Amino acid sequence: MKERVAITGLGVVSPCGLKKETFWAHLKRADSFIDEITRFDASLYPSRIAGQVHELDHYTHLSGRLIKKIDVFSHMALVSSEQALQDSKIDLEKVDKNRIGVFMGNALGGWLFAETELRDMYIEGREGISPYMASAWFPAAPQGQVTIYYGFKGYSKTVVADKASSALALWYASKIIAQGKNDFVLAGGMEAPITPYALLCANTNGNLSKNNLNPKKAYRPYDLYRDGFVLGEGSGMVVLEKESQAKKRGSHIYGFIKGVGFSSDGYHYSRYRPDSSNLDYAIDSCIKDAGWSKKDIDYICLDGEATVLGDYLETKALKDVFGKSIKDISLSAPKSMFGNFLGAQTALDLVATVLSMKNDTVLPTINYEVSDPYCDLDYTPNKAISREINKALILARGRGGINVALAVEKG
Amino acid sequence: MSIKEEVLDLICQTLDVKKEEIKEGQKLYDSLGVDSTEMVELVVSLNKKFDIKLETNEVTKFSTPEEIVSTVENKKSS
Repeated sequence: MKERVAITGLGVVSPCGLKKETFWAHLKRADSFIDEITRFDASLYPSRIAGQVHELDHYTHLSGRLIKKIDVFSHMALVSSEQALQDSKIDLEKVDKNRIGVFMGNALGGWLFAETELRDMYIEGREGISPYMASAWFPAAPQGQVTIYYGFKGYSKTVVADKASSALALWYASKIIAQGKNDFVLAGGMEAPITPYALLCANTNGNLSKNNLNPKKAYRPYDLYRDGFVLGEGSGMVVLEKESQAKKRGSHIYGFIKGVGFSSDGYHYSRYRPDSSNLDYAIDSCIKDAGWSKKDIDYICLDGEATVLGDYLETKALKDVFGKSIKDISLSAPKSMFGNFLGAQTALDLVATVLSMKNDTVLPTINYEVSDPYCDLDYTPNKAISREINKALILARGRGGINVALAVEKG
Repeated sequence: MSIKEEVLDLICQTLDVKKEEIKEGQKLYDSLGVDSTEMVELVVSLNKKFDIKLETNEVTKFSTPEEIVSTVENKKSS
């Protein structure tokens, strides 16, 4: 039997908390953290609401000298990494840093920094641009900043795969631990899409909710009146290591990454294949990879895109794979409370799922008010429920059909 | 304010360090751990502040504060 990959530390930067305790408390209350965008004037954007992080500077451990050189997505990743490392109680003075790696997912890069600098370049010429621009904006920048900050020299990687980025990063990270290539991996993702240009791109994509007059009701997966997802920003990070090592260190084990299923639709650059067969395959192969049977699963953390087609296809895939037994599995999309973090969404879903396991609670899908005959499952509407969760799946889909399912077991 | 004081203030402001961290007679690399990217920013700031045209090889991370002040003074008077 192959050794399990243990999750021994959690870090979270989100609109509903910059510590795992506050994150959990807010989610359990089923509060919405979606509001009108205040960072810049977004009044002319079709979708101008989001889950924003307001208090990063109050929680940071970084110097002003470093903060000015990095984009906010690296800042978020450094803060959540610090939390995860402290939570895992790794003694960084005693471990071999050549065997600690960093695996992260990101979809967009660091545009808050980049936009400002590019504007200055066009106004002032080449001397108007900050020299830090070169190392601040690209999707792998947070990975570099974290490895430099701690001196980690182990095998590391950043995955860019739209909304499936951190799901794939977590998968690669767990394989690297299972294969013994690193002793520890800091894995997760970060995304900071609440910037003028990134928001414009996300709007152009066309899947964002335009319910600007009622932000807290806007993100409503599976509801009949859903009109798209709402962006969120933040970072989730976990520490992964082999179960035997975690036990030897006496670490608290939150859970285990047991398996993964992956598929691509191979259909269209932005649309999903209309029959959900590739998502079915990802879910099915994940269950096989974990060595589980379908009836073992207690909970599925959903992708919850809140588009008409996206939610229909996800519901269809669940029915295809599980048949009638889907009624016995709890389902929910907690991201309806804090927004969709794009490349970091699965990292946040993983933190929420292991905390759900720890607290024997299924978090809700909020704003589910009017049922859709094509999305007719029990998505745990509006209120958390008590249930022991031992085995769970987390689903993620990138634009154009990058389908990932992650299997997580209680620690 | 003397050029020396203005240069020291600019180093503090540009690099986000305190004045007492800048050591007289010590290379910026040794006292502050300045890297080459930070030096690019400092050179651009010096050029803007004093309306001069320093190149990035004229003051480097291995320059002392006194050497930077003297280079700026020479540029301004030339």
